[in-house]
Amino acid sequence: MIEVTGLRVVLPPDVAAVDGVDLVIRPGEFVVILGRSGAGKTTFLRALNRLVEPTAGDVRLGGRAVTGADPATLRALRRQIGMVFQQFNLVRRASVLDNVLAGRLGWAPPLPTLFGRFPAADRRIARECLAQVGLADFAARRADTLSGGEQQRVAIARALAQSPAVILADEPTASLDPALTGSIMDLLKMIRAQRGLTLIVSQHQLETALAYATRVVGFRRGRVVFDGPPAALSPAVAATIYGEEAGR
Amino acid sequence: MRRAAVFVALVVLAWTAWDTGADPVRFARGVPWILDFLRRMLPPDLRVLPAALLGAIKTVEIALLGTAVAAVLALPLGFLSARNVAAPPVFHLARATLNFFRSVDTLVYALVFVAAVGLGPFPGVLAVVAYTTTSLAKLYSEAIEGIERGPVDAITATGATRLQVLRFGVLPQVLPLFLSYVLYRLETNIRAATVLGFVGAGGIGFYLQTYLRMIDYSAASTVLLVTVLMVMVVDAISSRLRARLV
Repeated sequence: MIEVTGLRVVLPPDVAAVDGVDLVIRPGEFVVILGRSGAGKTTFLRALNRLVEPTAGDVRLGGRAVTGADPATLRALRRQIGMVFQQFNLVRRASVLDNVLAGRLGWAPPLPTLFGRFPAADRRIARECLAQVGLADFAARRADTLSGGEQQRVAIARALAQSPAVILADEPTASLDPALTGSIMDLLKMIRAQRGLTLIVSQHQLETALAYATRVVGFRRGRVVFDGPPAALSPAVAATIYGEEAGR
Repeated sequence: MRRAAVFVALVVLAWTAWDTGADPVRFARGVPWILDFLRRMLPPDLRVLPAALLGAIKTVEIALLGTAVAAVLALPLGFLSARNVAAPPVFHLARATLNFFRSVDTLVYALVFVAAVGLGPFPGVLAVVAYTTTSLAKLYSEAIEGIERGPVDAITATGATRLQVLRFGVLPQVLPLFLSYVLYRLETNIRAATVLGFVGAGGIGFYLQTYLRMIDYSAASTVLLVTVLMVMVVDAISSRLRARLV
């Protein structure tokens, strides 16, 4: 369970990217954060694991405070939160398997990892996650030799390798060919079904949100303007989320 | 404004020409002496070839060992003087230290180390280490400042420690650049090490200076030829390795 109370994030110079958000996300939900670009979706997701430091408010994961947590506690909490990015954020020059292994950094004994050594169990988990995204044969390839869609699958495998309770995906399909949107969203959906984890995915596409979400949270100017099941998202509500030019 | 700048530049250059006694006529009068010098260098005295080769090997050794040690010592310094890694006070202190030590040339360090540990190649190695550590640290830190933020965020999000973020988010991005800088430094250090012998810090420069002092120009020319050959060979190997890194 993720509990967000009064969350505010002011980015320099003086922009309230997230401006007072209260949200409770229950285990197993597939939440799509819907909004135009600049609505504060990315900042909201990054504030949940404190890649961006919130200005005010609280974030709790499973009852434990993320905001204000000391570095060791924060790392333990981050370990439970996998993250997938719009630009994949793989280490390009490293192998696919090494990229996925990075997902085990929060679990493996720290000192040996600095020399590139991971316990056999962690290596096995990494390979399993790679197989789960359908890229078992790509383990030895350099990450930047893969296509965009494949790279995003590797990034998802890296998030999975954390054995997380939650996966945050920030516009995971926005820098891909539109034809690949479905395959990445299907993969996320399948993973949620198999592992029973919570998914929080930001999207700017209405159709995608409606097709996959169990719950849609509409963002506009850093505030929640809609929160409900996809079926309740009327054209009038969509117009509120997207502003004047309703639809897409 | 522009005219004034050009005028000032011309005045400054004219002053330096006068102050250094730069004189084309005086140079023209010296040309015959240069020709005489070159004539006396030929043919090269190949009897000193073994000695010159041994000196060249020692020079390569000085540059190789000095660069290798510096490449490692520069690692922590490089991270500490990268704006996006180190805390501001640490960064400023590290940068200031680098700029201070970098402003002294290898040859000056050699003078200091010869005085400290005596004659021979060892003070040469120390001099190469002293200069190269700081100059590589500067290059390292610039490479670190140019990295992509994305992978760093991704590694941070896994719950990694700061050191793990450096090792898995930063190092893979900068390591090929680091190696390329180290090879480039090796090339310049070979050149720098050829003159270390002039101040008693070992290598081929010692032979060059000795033969010049003995006015044995044909022996000196053999040493010069070996030096040129050595630099060319190392450059060729190093640039080939560098091309494979990028």
